[in-house]
Amino acid sequence: MSHTIDAVRAIAQRAARVTPADAAEAIVVASRSALTRFAGNRIHQNVAENDMELSVRAVLGTRTGVASTNRFDDDSLTRCAAAAVDAARHAPQDPVFPGLPEPHPLSLPSGGSTLLGTYSEQTRAEAAHAIIGQSEARGLVAAGGIAVNDQIVAVANSSGVLVAMQTDSLRATVLSTGEAQASGWASYYGRDTGGFLPSQLGSQAAMLAERSAGAGALDPGTYTVVLAPEAVADILDFLGYLGFGAKAFSEGSSFLVGKVGTRALDSRVTIYDDALSPGTIGIRFDYEGQPRRRTPLVEGGVFAGPVTDSYFATKLELDNTGHALPAPNPYGPLPLNLEMNAGDTTVEDMIASVDRGVYVTRFHYVNVEDPMKVVLTGMTRDGTFLIENGKLARPVRNLRFTQSALVALSHVGAIGAKRQLCGGEGSAMLAPALLLERWDFTGQTG
Amino acid sequence: MNALIADALDAATLAGATYADARIVETRHERLSVRTGHVEGIESGESLGIGIRTIASGAWGFAATSDLSADGIRAAARQAVALSRAAAITARTPVTLAPLESFTDTWTGPCEIDPFTVSTDDKLAVLLLADDVLRTDQRIHVTSASMGFIGVHKVFGSTEGSHIEQSYIESQAGIAAFAIGDGEMLPRSYPSNLGGQAVQGGWETIRALDLPGNAPRIADQAAALLSAAPCPHDMTTVIIDSSQVALQVHESIGHPTELDRILGDEAAFAGTSWVGVLDLGTLRYGSDHVTVTTDATIPGSIGSFGYDDEGVPAQRDHIVTNGILTGLQTSRESAPTLGRTSNGCMRADGWQRQPLIRMTTMSLEPGEWSFDDLIADTEDGIYMETNNSWSIDDRRLNFQFGCEIGWEIKGGKLGRMIKSPNYTGITPEFWASCDAVCDRDHWQVWGIPNCGKGEPMQVAHVAHGAAPARFRDVRVGVTR
Repeated sequence: MSHTIDAVRAIAQRAARVTPADAAEAIVVASRSALTRFAGNRIHQNVAENDMELSVRAVLGTRTGVASTNRFDDDSLTRCAAAAVDAARHAPQDPVFPGLPEPHPLSLPSGGSTLLGTYSEQTRAEAAHAIIGQSEARGLVAAGGIAVNDQIVAVANSSGVLVAMQTDSLRATVLSTGEAQASGWASYYGRDTGGFLPSQLGSQAAMLAERSAGAGALDPGTYTVVLAPEAVADILDFLGYLGFGAKAFSEGSSFLVGKVGTRALDSRVTIYDDALSPGTIGIRFDYEGQPRRRTPLVEGGVFAGPVTDSYFATKLELDNTGHALPAPNPYGPLPLNLEMNAGDTTVEDMIASVDRGVYVTRFHYVNVEDPMKVVLTGMTRDGTFLIENGKLARPVRNLRFTQSALVALSHVGAIGAKRQLCGGEGSAMLAPALLLERWDFTGQTG
Repeated sequence: MNALIADALDAATLAGATYADARIVETRHERLSVRTGHVEGIESGESLGIGIRTIASGAWGFAATSDLSADGIRAAARQAVALSRAAAITARTPVTLAPLESFTDTWTGPCEIDPFTVSTDDKLAVLLLADDVLRTDQRIHVTSASMGFIGVHKVFGSTEGSHIEQSYIESQAGIAAFAIGDGEMLPRSYPSNLGGQAVQGGWETIRALDLPGNAPRIADQAAALLSAAPCPHDMTTVIIDSSQVALQVHESIGHPTELDRILGDEAAFAGTSWVGVLDLGTLRYGSDHVTVTTDATIPGSIGSFGYDDEGVPAQRDHIVTNGILTGLQTSRESAPTLGRTSNGCMRADGWQRQPLIRMTTMSLEPGEWSFDDLIADTEDGIYMETNNSWSIDDRRLNFQFGCEIGWEIKGGKLGRMIKSPNYTGITPEFWASCDAVCDRDHWQVWGIPNCGKGEPMQVAHVAHGAAPARFRDVRVGVTR
């Protein structure tokens, strides 16, 4: 089952039309994905998935209800629409609900060939084989995966919104491990298969693993850190989830509350959400069919405001920035294409400028200790090094940090000149490396 | 559905599979949520599809589709075999499965009152009342009350001759109050965080939670947290409530004893384990007070089933016995590395996903203490309730957990309230410091329906039986 943009758009339009309500919205997501996963220097999981889902939001006055299905026979569509209307009947009136949004002009790509069509299971297996070969040749063990995703999203509503777009992506990850806790990591995420060079990626991870062998202890404490882009992306992700959304702002739990327009971070920190940015992967409209726009969140260290959808734009009397998620959801509008502005420093120069600090390849299992101060805790993994006198002096065992991201971003030493696309499951972020002058490591794995 | 399963298995065999299984899974769900007096969402949904798993050329393949036409199923079966063949490029030894007899059976989970037959008005009435009671104190800025229901019907068939049908209903509900002041947000939830308690069962289980009846206590505690003492930075005795013990078991015993992690299959994403295969029977995991079981037969637990998703009957097995590692969670492929057969831990997140080793109900077995006696026996320490934050390293050694609320223990009595207490430790040291576990009167099974693992991400519904337990010399109050 392979769907065209036109077919998916038509299904959304039909579903919105047949829903017996004052107004209706339909979201259709057709997805095809495949993942070749390897571990222990062999492919152990090789999977593919094909699905299409419809979600209908019915509106009766200012009452709304939602129902979803992945079945597209006439009875199922009728049942889904009826379930949405029935839910709306039971919902109380919501005086804030502004109605379904109107259409806006949008320039959308027409679609065409997809990565999944060209990146077959055989191609993925050969790429995995090439990656594994780099570790195997060094006496190391490779694990990781090569994932290809094709997705068509269509949104239609009874006010005339009718949009559809296709996106695809390729994500490859490599963990190379060996004796003496050797552990190295490399990854690729993007749409350009030409940028994915399996042997090179495998070699990058394996060389980092060799360099990290024999990791030793390091006393917990406050250190200068150089964070590689994937570690920075984790911080951006939590900023987005905890504070840049209008729901947290409206409820008073966002760090933006009372600080919009004030300088709260280092003046070099500028963060946007932009699904249209070159190099990112994103849908150009939100799940209400509204244009996603380049939305400033932090400009020169000054908090600019939250992202919104039609509901929270009305409630907070702000512009709709086009960041709706499918209704209903517990998060409200969220930024899914965060990016931090690049600086002008190479990672090598950052390391060279540090007398004593820690280099972090990536974090693991980061979670929230304090949402308003964005205090996070998590571990380092797959390549953590002590920096001494401007050089990577020795590998260190994985460290636990407990650190406010807001405090850390108030003490920026340098920002990387090159950004990496990070993410993969639902969001894509363009993140540079960062030199942060204060970072609290609070423990270490023995 | 039987004919569709047969079609899938025939097509896979015809394409060259030496083994195949197929699962058709039909789910329906309903979710209602109220937030700060506002009905945030009423939604329902359904999903239907088939997942086909094959071994061909000695390697695994898996393809899933929602296209249940004859052509769609056959195409998916052929795709699974093609994926197997492609995977074989790196195969060293062919995949072999532990022996298993074939089963023809049906299994149904417990449910007294089908929640899908209860009116939306009745459900909303419970949520709106509970949410209203939560908002009696102006220091409570945000409140939430939610409930959700999932109905699952799945059919499994394999080329070894098994044919198994299973049906169950899960229900979940909970409330939370969030006090905001002085730059901090302090949550207090009941009966647990992240949507509350989840069980196999029906509307009767929602009634039993009595959300409105517990709302005043939760609201009072949330408001009081604003003026509560901060957690001291200290090494001290910690007693944690049964829901936090459940998560402690989950993260620091459940995940590290999954054999696929130990063998490295999840290394790049979720991580590996500090436990090795050769540790079985000798590794001291904790004190003599620590006995842990995995049990897929506990009625009402969301970790229960009749058969796992590769057709292995539900079992109870010991993982840690009086502090010694005695078992691991296994699959048909991995169990032979231990010289054992599968103990039935392969579970998939719907028709779209290939089964992985997942927890069922992994429990810290009850001890002999009453809660009051345990507090009275503790001279100095902190009692903590209800998880609020969790993090652990990729080998499941270095953990840090935060709780919603705590109380000082002084001279065998609970004293002043502590806000946002947290503690950190290293897994075997922590469990070695356990010197008391409360008895069966204080033991209950907690559903955790949000356990993430695998790529593509799979969210498993697992559970843990636990009672309050005491741990000595624990580092608390990690800098915030």
